[in-house]
Amino acid sequence: MNKYNPPRMNPSSLRSRFATRFLRTLSKINAQKPTSSSSPTEIFRRYRRIKAAADKSMAYSVRSRRTWSRAMLWKLRTRPCGRRSVKTSTIIKSREARKTRHEKQNKNTTTTTTTTTGEDGVVFGVEADELRELVPGGEAMDLYNLLDETAHYIKCLTTQVQVMKKIADFYSP
Amino acid sequence: MLHRLESLESCNYNGMGVAVLERQAASLKWQQQNYVVQHNNLVELCASSMPQLQGLTGSNLGSGQMVELKRPEVFLGSDDFQEFVNFPVAGAEFGDSEKLDMVPPEAAADYCISRTSSCQMTALNTSVMKEEREDMILEKMESTTGSGRKSFNKRKPEAVADHKGKNKRIKGEGEPEVKTKCSTEISRNSSKENSKASEVQKLDYIHVRARRGQATDSHSLAERARREKISKKMKCLQDLVPSCNKITGKAGMLDEIINYVQSLQRQVEFLSMKIAALNSSVQFNVENLTMKEFPAYVANFPAAAKLPAMASLPYFQLNPLQKESVNCMLNESMLPPQTATEGIASASVSISEQSLSSSSMTQLQPFSTWNMDPQDIVPGIISNFKREYNFKCHYSPSYKTYSNDSDSYHS
Repeated sequence: MNKYNPPRMNPSSLRSRFATRFLRTLSKINAQKPTSSSSPTEIFRRYRRIKAAADKSMAYSVRSRRTWSRAMLWKLRTRPCGRRSVKTSTIIKSREARKTRHEKQNKNTTTTTTTTTGEDGVVFGVEADELRELVPGGEAMDLYNLLDETAHYIKCLTTQVQVMKKIADFYSP
Repeated sequence: MLHRLESLESCNYNGMGVAVLERQAASLKWQQQNYVVQHNNLVELCASSMPQLQGLTGSNLGSGQMVELKRPEVFLGSDDFQEFVNFPVAGAEFGDSEKLDMVPPEAAADYCISRTSSCQMTALNTSVMKEEREDMILEKMESTTGSGRKSFNKRKPEAVADHKGKNKRIKGEGEPEVKTKCSTEISRNSSKENSKASEVQKLDYIHVRARRGQATDSHSLAERARREKISKKMKCLQDLVPSCNKITGKAGMLDEIINYVQSLQRQVEFLSMKIAALNSSVQFNVENLTMKEFPAYVANFPAAAKLPAMASLPYFQLNPLQKESVNCMLNESMLPPQTATEGIASASVSISEQSLSSSSMTQLQPFSTWNMDPQDIVPGIISNFKREYNFKCHYSPSYKTYSNDSDSYHS
């Protein structure tokens, strides 16, 4: 009579916090949907809403402890109508910037790097800019804090991807 | 103590016939002893070399100064001290060599008592006062010594520069630390040893020792500390990002980190698209899912929540294409396939390539007729889907090559 008890998740972990919030938002989105849900427009609209919900629930799970979560929440709040996600455009921009980096190798970018002395400014010039574009709220940070925020952001992104993947697998045929 | 001094003095007077060199050596030894007493170094050593003075030094040091036995070459540079040690101890000189003949023993004793007591006092004072007294003693030594002046002259500018360096580097430290630092400074100075860069103690400031041949400028020290912090952080990031193990060098690692973050963001996008495309009749049951672990629940999940038969064609076409693209992308990441359905889907992909490519082409047309979104987001996303699918044929396990393909696409 051995009952298989699945291991309990830590209720206060980042993953469970994000999962509960995200699922609640998903059910809300599903409740709002119109009857014909299979048209591409609808799917796309829902996609954007779901993506925003994922980001928002992620940022809310982290609260305001991190700069990137604060920046993300602010961004989500102050974008009322245009739900356009600028992420892909920034990705394209960063790729182009990296392509032209080889031509600009000797040029020392001093705009956003805090140190111009030493080898830090030369090594991290362009990459730090790209990282700043990727990580929300990274424009106004020095390199050390930027790396710190990146580490936490990566951790939260991996959690988000895992949870969403499991949800998608769970409800897929 | 006085009678002992008198006896010593009598010995000294008996030794007046000793060679001038020996007398000067003994006087230098006495002055050295003062110097040693100042720094709490080698008192025992001096005492051992001058057995007559042992009682005196012991009584002088009764106030609890620490006595450390160090090797002679640690102190004063090996050569000078060895010379003095080898000389026979004819007697103690308790005053200046010039004054010895003229000053009566009691006055001399008084003089040396006062000197010793002053030595005693300064050892308990703060570091600054100690250094001042040290300077004074050094000056006195310089003014009174004869032939032995050379060594002290050598040492004095070193000591003075040493003090200056010490003052510059030490800010607000306690006394015992200064004592150890004094000894270590002298040892470093004399034996020309350079310690490694390390944080000595974290009191109010972070003390970083300069490596040999490196600048001791405060700016460069701060820079170095900052750089070490950053490299520590990069090591932490290296543990987080899975593909950073082979790559050394900061620039390459940063590139990997950027790639990883981009791929994670793209995964989020694709997954949200996948969830959006799921049939909305499925109720997202929050309670059930939060109570149990996901994989276990998925394993036990009955077929009731499966999607009903798809009526519309576009959805049909989108779903498998999307699933394959998502699966392929997810396979790229280091997560293993979670469910059996995913594994089957990825396995059946190669079989139905052609049919799906045709379906993707038909799928693109309704999307392109949209006008609701003037930006290139929509075709961008759909083309991403399509490219994911095309990329699948040339699938390679690292997402780095994936991003290279993206680069070529966007060129």
